[in-house]
Amino acid sequence: MSDTTMLALFDEIDPAANAIEKLHEMGVGHERISVISGVPINPAMLGRPHPWTNVSRLAMGGAIGGFLFGLFLNWGTPNLYSVYVGGQALTPIPPGLILLFEMTMLFALLATFLGVFLESYFPNYRPLEYVPQISDGKIGVFFQVPQEDQGKFVDVLSQIGAESVEPHEARPL
Amino acid sequence: MAVSSEYLPAAGGTQAEHHEGEHNPRELLMFDPLPRGVMNDMVMESMHTTSWRFWLVLGILVFLVATCMIYAWGYMIAEGLYVAGVMRPAFWGVFLVNTVFWIGISHAGTFISAILRVMKAEFRRPFTRAAELMTTFGLIQAGASIFMHLGRVWLSYWMLPIPNERQLWPNFHSPLMWDLLAITTYVLGSTMYLFLPLIPDLAMARDRSTGWRKSFYRILALGFRGTEGEWRHLSTAMNIFAFAIIPVMFSVHTIVSWDFAMAMRPGWSSTVFGPYFVLGALHSGMGAVAVVLFIMRYTMKHMDYFIRKEHFDALGKLMLIVSFAYAYFFFNDYIVQWYGGDAATDNLLHWLEEGPMAWMFIQMVGFNIILPFLTLWNKRLRQTPWLLAIIGLLINVGMYWERYIIIPVMLTINRMPFTWRLYEPRVEVFLTIGTFATFLLFYMIASRLIPLIPVWEVQEGQMTHSLRKVGKAHVPTISEFE
Repeated sequence: MSDTTMLALFDEIDPAANAIEKLHEMGVGHERISVISGVPINPAMLGRPHPWTNVSRLAMGGAIGGFLFGLFLNWGTPNLYSVYVGGQALTPIPPGLILLFEMTMLFALLATFLGVFLESYFPNYRPLEYVPQISDGKIGVFFQVPQEDQGKFVDVLSQIGAESVEPHEARPL
Repeated sequence: MAVSSEYLPAAGGTQAEHHEGEHNPRELLMFDPLPRGVMNDMVMESMHTTSWRFWLVLGILVFLVATCMIYAWGYMIAEGLYVAGVMRPAFWGVFLVNTVFWIGISHAGTFISAILRVMKAEFRRPFTRAAELMTTFGLIQAGASIFMHLGRVWLSYWMLPIPNERQLWPNFHSPLMWDLLAITTYVLGSTMYLFLPLIPDLAMARDRSTGWRKSFYRILALGFRGTEGEWRHLSTAMNIFAFAIIPVMFSVHTIVSWDFAMAMRPGWSSTVFGPYFVLGALHSGMGAVAVVLFIMRYTMKHMDYFIRKEHFDALGKLMLIVSFAYAYFFFNDYIVQWYGGDAATDNLLHWLEEGPMAWMFIQMVGFNIILPFLTLWNKRLRQTPWLLAIIGLLINVGMYWERYIIIPVMLTINRMPFTWRLYEPRVEVFLTIGTFATFLLFYMIASRLIPLIPVWEVQEGQMTHSLRKVGKAHVPTISEFE
């Protein structure tokens, strides 16, 4: 008994949320459902759990890394390559704070940007489950069900308001 | 690709449904939704439509970039900096005026996109990208202007902290090094901040393109589909960027101001130069956004749906507020110097008011302070796009003169009158034209390659806006979806 991936397309959030609820009632768990949309939709509206993200942790890690790098540039390297200017201290604190701030922010921003790539598995040019109607505002609900139950799910979701319900295979974007 | 006429907003919209004098909510973009597919088509059509005028302007810009940027810069590199007008006492000339000017222009993108996003100002939605593009392209011109100023540009890597056998090490206590670090952070940060919200629109363009454009958008969209996880990561990152880029933006122009304020020169040594420069940057940036929005609305197809009078109105209010703040800091800086009693500073102020550059000083005050005060309080004037664009343009003229006064003029009128000599730009004039032409060329090419309207953000905004019936009236209401 093999599973097949089905795609139900919806115009509005309400029928999509009802469909997901119905899928749960029919024994399809959260882990076997995924939703794609052309605009961000709060998962709570669809009765879905909030996806976990590590982007903010990565950003914090980047900030700490940048801070440490700033410390090294400011108070480490001047001792390696001493440049005495006009009787100034070699490692003064007030001008050092500027470099510290810039390095902290730069590394935090870079880590945030790279975090999106890491967390979303970007870039990904392999065949994926997707239909172009998504960027036209449709909401796509993908779910995995046993092959022999396909017809039952098509009937139920069509009644709820799905524009189309059909088996779907990954394809190049 | 052509958009069906049944969806296009008719002139006058649904005015007939409303009584005369009653505000029609459908004049506002957020209360006048179209199907997402139609908005996608409109944006794609605007990117694909070019007239002979577009190619003519593009050709002129390519010619100007080739001659005024590439040839003139090459000539200066080959001949040396003596072909420029910089010499004693003004060793900092138009190149640095351009640097400060372009960094100022770049502040608009961050302000509109980040601050208004943080404050959840809904009117920002259709033109955040147009402003963000100005940031990236403006910073490229600022960077190019610094390299021009360096003269021996091939040695610019000496500013990088690379261990080397020459035992050269950057002095991190120097404001010029702070510049390098702050501008680098800002260029990278603002480019990443431009790209992140662009990914869903690149995916939209990928889905609606063929040929080389399909491959181009497919690569840039990175495989984005719009899964729950992708949206979550993206929105988290955009929130972090929106908050983090604001202090970076403030730091950049403050540090630029310190290039001057750290020196004990008449006119420069000022403790309010930091916020004064930041406000000046926002002032010129806002004005430039007004010009860009006007050009977009009247030259690109369907842009009159996305960019409406309400947006010019909101922008006009922002320009007026920024103008108030700018006037405050200008006067604060001016009056303290005026009262200071320092002879050299007195000389400088008299020279600005009565000397050969007085016209520049008068235009600066007139365009940056008096003109916005006289016009932008009026809603009818604010809602007249061509007028707001002209005001924006004049503000930028005023802001350019302000930077010119601060740099070569204040270097000229110094504590050693025997060195006074008016600075006369030479090859700098061509290179200035070159930076403007390069900025416009990049912008025109970008307008046909990437969606200038963030369609998903517009649709998201339209989904959260609705009209609620209260008594006999329909009241605009905004829901919180996040």
